[in-house]
Amino acid sequence: MSAFLSNKVFSNISKFSREVKPLVSLRGITKKFPGVVALDNVSLDIYPGEILALLGENGAGKSTLVKILYGLYTPDKGEVIVYGEKTKILSPRHAVSKGIVLVPQTPHLIDSLSVLENLIIGLREYGVFARVDLIEDRVREIALSIGIELDPRKPVATLSYTQKQLVSIIRALLLKARVLLVDEATTLLPSREKEKFYTLFRRFTEGGGSVVLITHKVVEALRVADRIAVLKSGRLVGVIDRDRARVEDVRKLMFGKTVTNNLQVRLKRTEHIDGGKRVLEVMGLWVSRWFGDYVVRGVSLSVRRGEVVGIAGIAGNGQEELVQAIVGLVKPVRGSIRLLGVDVTGKGVELTRKLGLGYIPDIPMRYGVSIDNTIEENIAALLVRGKIIKWRRVNEFTSKLIREYDVKAPHPRVPVKVLSGGNLMKVLVSRELAIARSLLVAHNPTRALDEVSARLVRRMIREKAVGEGVGVLLVSEDLDEVLELSDRILVINSGRIVGVFDANRVERERIEELMVA
Amino acid sequence: MVYLVVLRRTKPLPYASILVPVISILLGVLLSSIILYLLASIPPLALFNLIVRSFTSPTVLKDTLILTLIGLSLVIAFKASIWNIGAEGQFHMGMLVATWIALFTPIASIPVLAKITCILAGAVAGALWAILAGVLRAYVGLDEVPVTLMLNYVAYYVLDVLVYGPWRGRFTYGYIRTDEIPENLWLTLIPGTTAHVEVLATVLIVGLAIWFMFKYTIVGLRLRILGSNPEFLRASGVNVKHMVVLALGLSGAIAGMVGALYLLGDTHRVSYPVEAQTAGYGYLGILVAWLSMLDVRGLPLAAYVVSSLRVTGITMQIAGLGGTAIVFLFMGSVLLTYTVAKVFSEYTIVIRR
Ligand SMILES: Nc1ncnc2c1ncn2[C@@H]1O[C@H](COP(=O)(O)OP(=O)(O)O)[C@@H](O)[C@H]1O
Ligand SMILES: [Mg+2]
Repeated sequence: MSAFLSNKVFSNISKFSREVKPLVSLRGITKKFPGVVALDNVSLDIYPGEILALLGENGAGKSTLVKILYGLYTPDKGEVIVYGEKTKILSPRHAVSKGIVLVPQTPHLIDSLSVLENLIIGLREYGVFARVDLIEDRVREIALSIGIELDPRKPVATLSYTQKQLVSIIRALLLKARVLLVDEATTLLPSREKEKFYTLFRRFTEGGGSVVLITHKVVEALRVADRIAVLKSGRLVGVIDRDRARVEDVRKLMFGKTVTNNLQVRLKRTEHIDGGKRVLEVMGLWVSRWFGDYVVRGVSLSVRRGEVVGIAGIAGNGQEELVQAIVGLVKPVRGSIRLLGVDVTGKGVELTRKLGLGYIPDIPMRYGVSIDNTIEENIAALLVRGKIIKWRRVNEFTSKLIREYDVKAPHPRVPVKVLSGGNLMKVLVSRELAIARSLLVAHNPTRALDEVSARLVRRMIREKAVGEGVGVLLVSEDLDEVLELSDRILVINSGRIVGVFDANRVERERIEELMVA
Repeated sequence: MVYLVVLRRTKPLPYASILVPVISILLGVLLSSIILYLLASIPPLALFNLIVRSFTSPTVLKDTLILTLIGLSLVIAFKASIWNIGAEGQFHMGMLVATWIALFTPIASIPVLAKITCILAGAVAGALWAILAGVLRAYVGLDEVPVTLMLNYVAYYVLDVLVYGPWRGRFTYGYIRTDEIPENLWLTLIPGTTAHVEVLATVLIVGLAIWFMFKYTIVGLRLRILGSNPEFLRASGVNVKHMVVLALGLSGAIAGMVGALYLLGDTHRVSYPVEAQTAGYGYLGILVAWLSMLDVRGLPLAAYVVSSLRVTGITMQIAGLGGTAIVFLFMGSVLLTYTVAKVFSEYTIVIRR
């Protein structure tokens, strides 16, 4: 199985595997941004052969830490020791020359070029010369070994998100990485694919490399990582061996004592849903991808006032296209969509928004926010209905959302791009929850959030349904989330609804069966 | 070991919006004077005197006002990331329609109304000309840069054909040009300058309106979002195609208005070939818009500096020190140093040991 580990790319790793000295050490690192201390006197060792999980709530400083190692930021104070030598990491190029490579959450690839071309450019950029045919073989080998299909000659534009992330990681391997910094690069992956990447990471560490894995899923971290480091508000509050770590303890370190109790609060349900009016009615919907086949095949569903309808399924079974058709971003080929009784089929987002639709998209940076604009402006863009913007009102409203959702931001007038990923998501989710009047379409609303924030958002979604009678269509690949939130559960597989369940009488196993059938 | 590290700034350089234009203008002038000294042995001190005199010349005000308006036109488009290179053509379409009204319609003889009609009709013509490119961009997906650029030439030549043929005047002493427009249409001079009261008024009204639009209206916000993430704009329920057309339409309207004002105030007639008749305000406006850092409040100053440098160039031309290229030398140098200064304003250099 680990045949590909024996080739040249990995051969220089093994000599580190028997050493107990850390590959990389941070000593007293401090980094300040206007208004926040992102890292406060952090010291941390990264050993060869380990997967080190870096945990922390949204905005704790995780990305800042790995960006320092990758030479994207320089610390205000403290030093970095690489292979026992005090080193100033000056740039990503410098980091790469030391074997430190960052895999970001969003792949930095050029869409119009092929996988191979992207990889070659990526290598040239760092002064590594490589032969095309060798790279091609390597790509096929790695993809094959973890079971993800990937044709190196295909243009990147045709790849799925999973495939693009794989290309990013392959790029890191080709750059002869010894320390792989994975900044939530697996967060947005469908859970099955995620496992494949974890297998790849494990093999990589077996070859003597180390992986710093940033995630906010505690359970997952405990399962995959050898050691767990927890950051809270820029401080390192604990480093625990996996064998000695318990989920509860880690949670406590991440969020503090009081919050963790709230995790068990039960959610209210709307009574007498059956009598309620239908907010959304989808009939025989067929949607095709760009030029290709149908990806949504005859879906019919309805959502009533105050009802949460959950759609469970493995990512890539037509969920994104179904959501986009309902919201009005793509035209369906056949079928009809009614919102509040009005035919909105293929009529665009203008109409659905006018009818009070809220939309939490799967890809926040694309459909959810404009990162160059301020938090306030991102809120105003959807909140303001008249022609004139009353900034004082917008500011008050924004400040309220920032407080309620505990968004880590110095003030409402900072551009959204300085926010950490989870905080950006909170801005978006809080806005859509606030403006939804008839239907809320939520696609993986909590995926980028830490557990406490995720819990808060789930409660808010519930309250929106119960308190204001808004219908909710929850599309999530997190089955626990679907089970917890929904009144009714539909299972989607290959673009078809293959099962309908009442949330009071669910059999989890049955749903799982249908998801993979 | 001492390192010089180039870092991206985590917070913007304080006063960047003032420092960048000022530094780039100073360096640009310095660069031009070095080139002029090396190529034409023009002593820097003499050049310096010329420039200082240009900055206080009474003729600068006229260009400053005109260029502020063109700058406003372009800032609207540029903020929305719509690269309107066609202010020149929109200007000439405005001039065309105004000429037609002034020479061939009965409205021309009604006192105040005639002026207002010409100016508004100029705005409409400029808007339509720009919307042509807007529709091609929004509905056909054609890049607006080549389209607006090529439409400039179409506008020139349409006006040329009219002036050469049907519109050629009776009292032109052999020149190929139209007759003068009636005197009641002429704009009022601001005493002691070559600028006009009506143009000043337009600058104030349009400037305030645009500033207000960007700061306090939802349309202004949407235009700015269009400039950074059109997909988000679409997902928030805005018709992005309409916004593209609107951005170009507003931009063209102001440029067209300037074309009409220029006819009523300065040329009073159109002469063949029209492309040689003005200073290429539509292109100069691009430099003005960038020097203002796309900030409406900075436009008058940027326009003032560019106008002064232009006057310097023209003075040198008249003095026989060079051709039209001198004006381009100044503009090109400033644009170059501006681009460099803008990049450096986003980075900082730190010494580390
Ligand atoms: N470039 C930046 N400019 C200003 N503030 C920043 C910047 N990058 C991060 N921050 C702030 O630093 C804190 C830590 O952010 P980050 O390291 O991204 O958190 P996370 O643990 O979620 O990855 C946050 O409050 C964030 O807003
Ligand atoms: Mg982060």
